[in-house]
Amino acid sequence: MLEINNLSAKVDKKTILNGLSLKIKPGEVHAIMGPNGSGKSTLANVLSGKKGYEISGKVNYDDKDLFELAIEERAHRGLFLAFQYPLEIPGVNTSNFLKTSLNAIRKSNGKKQLDALEFLKIVKQKASELKIDEKILHRQLNVGFSGGEKKKNEILQMSLIEPKMAILDETDSGLDIDALKIVAKGVNALRNKKRSFLIITHYQRLLDYIKPDFVHVLMKGKIAKSGCMELAEELEKAGYEKI
Amino acid sequence: MIEELNKNFEIFRKTYIPKLEDEKKRIEAFKDFEKSGFPNKKLEDWKFSDFSSIISNKIENIKVSLERNKNFKFENFIKDFDHIKIFFFNGFFVEKGEKFDEKKGFNYVTPYNGFKRNFSKEGGFLILPNSNNALESLNNAFFTDGLSIATKKNFEFKKPIVIYNIFEGSKKNNFFNNKIHFVISENSKLDIMIYNINIGEEPIFFNLKNTFYLKKNSIFKLYNLSDFKKNDVHYNFGRYFLEENSIFENFNNCYSGGFSKSDLVCSLNKEYSSCFINGVMLSQDQNHHEIKTLINHNEKNTKSYQKIKSVLNHSSKGVFQGKIKVSPEAQKTDGYQLSKALLLDKNSEFDSKPELEIYADDVKCSHGSTSGNLDEEAIFYLMSRGLDKYEAKKLLIKGFLTDAIETITNNEIKKYFLNKLENNINEHR
Repeated sequence: MLEINNLSAKVDKKTILNGLSLKIKPGEVHAIMGPNGSGKSTLANVLSGKKGYEISGKVNYDDKDLFELAIEERAHRGLFLAFQYPLEIPGVNTSNFLKTSLNAIRKSNGKKQLDALEFLKIVKQKASELKIDEKILHRQLNVGFSGGEKKKNEILQMSLIEPKMAILDETDSGLDIDALKIVAKGVNALRNKKRSFLIITHYQRLLDYIKPDFVHVLMKGKIAKSGCMELAEELEKAGYEKI
Repeated sequence: MIEELNKNFEIFRKTYIPKLEDEKKRIEAFKDFEKSGFPNKKLEDWKFSDFSSIISNKIENIKVSLERNKNFKFENFIKDFDHIKIFFFNGFFVEKGEKFDEKKGFNYVTPYNGFKRNFSKEGGFLILPNSNNALESLNNAFFTDGLSIATKKNFEFKKPIVIYNIFEGSKKNNFFNNKIHFVISENSKLDIMIYNINIGEEPIFFNLKNTFYLKKNSIFKLYNLSDFKKNDVHYNFGRYFLEENSIFENFNNCYSGGFSKSDLVCSLNKEYSSCFINGVMLSQDQNHHEIKTLINHNEKNTKSYQKIKSVLNHSSKGVFQGKIKVSPEAQKTDGYQLSKALLLDKNSEFDSKPELEIYADDVKCSHGSTSGNLDEEAIFYLMSRGLDKYEAKKLLIKGFLTDAIETITNNEIKKYFLNKLENNINEHR
């Protein structure tokens, strides 16, 4: 699904990712943990197409060179990034935004666009499955949302879009235990043999609910250690210094 | 151009049949205008919109024609909400709209008919004010027709009135001077939309003066919309006088072509009166729009709120000059003003001049003004959700302007304006 080979990224000549390699097969859930400044968010940004990075190395996504795809094309081909800091967009109705997004992706895949009623039915169902208050649909996109509401909204988007590959960038940070469970539920509900996840996090907490297949430690821009759930538990006890 | 106007004025005086009680006023007004000429950028009020050069660039020869087209046909009125229709065609009232009667809650006078029928001064606007505003003087000199309405006391209008100002601009007829004069009586409630449209091939200059008196406990909402073309020129001079506990809501849409300036003076003369003056500009193709406000807080416990959102593209220009003036008596004033602009290309310009002039010491006043580009982070966020760059920008522009349209409290009209916005953005490549 996703194959990262010797990926480096610089911002203003400062190297942030430094020869990172990682292979994620269909159906696998990978977690990346790492201390502040290790390059976790940069990895998420680079994969989703954010500008401002000087990039070298190769990333293959779904048998395509990822860097040849525009930002929206990555989304059309099933790549989804849940933002660490979802943006507040005044004046844009959340429900309207979700519909526009979903229809843009459906259109690019040759599927029929959903009308307002069809969409509403689906979004209400997804929101109720995730125990997300429907009221957020009527509000302006992320405006005045609490940290938890913003993250839940990201998970709702993920559930609607049903991506092939989802990257969650520190979606768990700042969440209380109930919101954390919603995030985990969103991920677990979508988990299947074809869909892959890359979960970027600081803490083991979220992983207790998601139980990833692999855990990697990112240090100084590359994978310093890989293992399974035990590695996350170890890190939680001993910290990153021992790696 | 002034010489031409002089000739036009002589012809106008000979051919315009109804005479004012004091015709000398017209002549004085024209002399006042001649002295100053069209306002130019040397004047503080016009420093961002040089009217003198704007009008000479857009209109070759100013011509007043008093011809009245008897075959007026207009079907293109608003279908989105039920409303009382009043039509003006080429500056003259047309008796094809709603028939008025007492049951509908108001009396009306149009001066052209009014003069002929020997109406008394109840028209209010038959008395021409002295003015140091050159365009108002010009309006006094050439004032042709208009509407004077006094609502009944304690009367709540169930549907809004739409005043359609329809023009068929031609080389022979391109200069129109109207006045609208309303008294919103005690405890009455009325919503009005003024909708200006030029269906002709040639550009026009529409010079409109409107005056509204809001009596005690009245609620009045005024919405402005124009469908003008690239070279049309519109000056809208509005004066609003508010009495005790009255509420005035005004919304200005500046989407259309050409040059427009709304020059709004709102006087909060009695306690607990409040005004809300909001608007959006969506300018493209070298259009130029200005909203200028002056809010006079003349009494204590008065409130004013202003929110103007502007999007400028394709070498267009936007101007907001807003002043909140608080007199020494006006303690506990609550004044708020915000102007935000998005500039989508390098050649567009937005000028903002927010001012507070405060002579009372116990007041709450704030103002803010920003201009900038679309947020790249927000564009990235939307594109990562599958929208292409154009759609992402469109959604952001729509959201940016919707924020101001959401202030409208007449839900039908709000919905209508949101649809208008959607259509205008679709054209806004």
